[in-house]
Amino acid sequence: MTMSTAAAPARPRRAMDSLTQRYLVLVGLIVIASVGFGIANENFYSLANIGILLRSIAVLFLVSMGMTFIMLTGGIDLSVGSNVAFAGGVGVIALTATDSAALGFVAAILAGMAIGAINGVFIGRLRLSAFMVTLATFALARGLALVIYDADSINVSNAAFLWLGGQSWGSLPVVIPFVALVFVALSVLLYRAPFGRDVYAAGSNFNTAFVLGRMPQRTLVWVYVLSGALAGLSAIITVGRVSSGQPWTGLYLEFDAITAVILGGTSLFGGRGRLLGTILGVLLYGIIINGLVLTGTNPYLQSLIKGLILLGVVLLDTLVQRRKAQ
Amino acid sequence: MTFKTGLMAATALATLGAPAWAQEDTLDIVFINDGHVAPYHVAWLKGFEDAIEAYDEAFEDTEITGRWLSAEGSLEKMIQQTEVTINEGPDVMFVNAINVDAFEPLVAKAQEAGITWIAVHSPMESADYSFTLGDVVNGTNQGMAICALSGGEPYKVGVMLGQAGNPSGEARREGILKGIATCDNVEVVAEQPADWDTVKAQSIAENWLTQFEDLDAISGVTDAYMYPSIAIATNSGKDLDFFGYDGDIPILQQMKDGPVKADILLSGTREGWNFVQMAYRIHKGETPDKVYDFYTPLVMTEENHKIALENGFPEDVEVYYVDQALDVAANGYLEFGPDSVK
Repeated sequence: MTMSTAAAPARPRRAMDSLTQRYLVLVGLIVIASVGFGIANENFYSLANIGILLRSIAVLFLVSMGMTFIMLTGGIDLSVGSNVAFAGGVGVIALTATDSAALGFVAAILAGMAIGAINGVFIGRLRLSAFMVTLATFALARGLALVIYDADSINVSNAAFLWLGGQSWGSLPVVIPFVALVFVALSVLLYRAPFGRDVYAAGSNFNTAFVLGRMPQRTLVWVYVLSGALAGLSAIITVGRVSSGQPWTGLYLEFDAITAVILGGTSLFGGRGRLLGTILGVLLYGIIINGLVLTGTNPYLQSLIKGLILLGVVLLDTLVQRRKAQ
Repeated sequence: MTFKTGLMAATALATLGAPAWAQEDTLDIVFINDGHVAPYHVAWLKGFEDAIEAYDEAFEDTEITGRWLSAEGSLEKMIQQTEVTINEGPDVMFVNAINVDAFEPLVAKAQEAGITWIAVHSPMESADYSFTLGDVVNGTNQGMAICALSGGEPYKVGVMLGQAGNPSGEARREGILKGIATCDNVEVVAEQPADWDTVKAQSIAENWLTQFEDLDAISGVTDAYMYPSIAIATNSGKDLDFFGYDGDIPILQQMKDGPVKADILLSGTREGWNFVQMAYRIHKGETPDKVYDFYTPLVMTEENHKIALENGFPEDVEVYYVDQALDVAANGYLEFGPDSVK
């Protein structure tokens, strides 16, 4: 008893330290990238470009936060990009049918949650592989989106529906304060609510969490539903951004989200990570993409550079973890 | 000493200043493409880059610069690239939009910034110009070529399509089916989207060869599908005819004594050169047609063309023979180089 009490406080402090180190590395990389791109092209620091940069990563912020919850449980969600397309389709169809932006919003979020619930039930309740289940819903949701849209786009002109994704206050896109609010709400949920502790418990050791009565199977269901709801919100923002519903939207979004979450220090095996790291990961990712376009970097090199940065950060993290373990 | 310093300064200024005065006029062209997955794209972008260099060298009074971006099929990425580019303020933007509706708000932004927006392949009413391929007409020519070279006997063909909902792919499909409908001996036994993806085309070709043992031909909306299809047919000892679309040089080379019977001569190289020619002409005050159709002849061997004509293929369809097609496909400057606008 004494031993376990003595060991318990030391563990989280070590985890915090390594995460803090990761955040410092990310902040350092963000500063280096910003200074470098700023020197290469003075337009990088223009308000217009900062607005473009923030708007372009708003959707990635949302889905990455959902992905963080999932990866904290040791899971993965490959369906999130397809879910954005599907939820957008349902939202746009509801909007077209009722001419009510509110119903369109609700329909999009519920549609996203429905795909999330399918994932959650199969993964949480039936204990199937998250990779396999979400790979299936990745195809399912994209197929549903293509059927709903009949593979064609649908124009949207409802100003209320387009407001969130399309409106700006000067150079500041409306969506940025909205994403910040979502971040605060999710932080409260993760760090101040029992649900957050259940998320960490499920990811650290599912069986132990089960024995302790934390019902990790139920937690998994809700984590995927949450990710689906965020995909629905992302769909609303995407429709607003392009003034239309698009069946092929969200393509490869899951890979960008997974990249950002890993960059942010969340463990692929669950139980370790924080939303702040994800925010920094998304920001670094967005700055790199924006800067590479702005500096006219050869598109052949862009993927290479992104891959090298990811590999470098993961390698650095592994080395730090090993040194600490020794 | 003062005189000497002054003279040196004047000389230096003259030396440094002269080229600047000579090149007061600038033309910056950006080409944003939806993806970069097929040999056609490689040729396209190479043609674009070569043309930028050639025009910049040929016209000393104008500094011509250009760059291209690839969205790798991602709508979000393409929108971001377009927003960043508009903020940079080039003179002309060629945008091969994944879906034109999604880009309507950005066309307005670009035009507000004084940028000429040229919609590529899929026409846009709001764009300053649309650079189109005449896909329905080209597809119809391919379909009629299938009819004319089918020999009048029952002839089964599989048609590989583009990505569902893609306007260019849909137009090509419409044209091919329209052309095939001009005869009653050709039966379309299968239609399948391969999403512009060579690997998916390979699986589809394998399935078709298993499913339809008496398949006579494969038609595709892009030459990217021809590479795996020809290889699979050859490896399985099947004697199939192929009807392509793009004018890729390796496919054109397989027309002489090979399985490829007809192809549409878009040619990525030609298209890249045509972009720069068009941008230069607009920059110099010319106004091309609002919907500018890329000149795209059909390619056949001379022998097959004669057979086709005997079988009722329309005489007014412009046909290039293989050598001529290979020449212009490899050397975009022949039709669209600086000499064409001097």
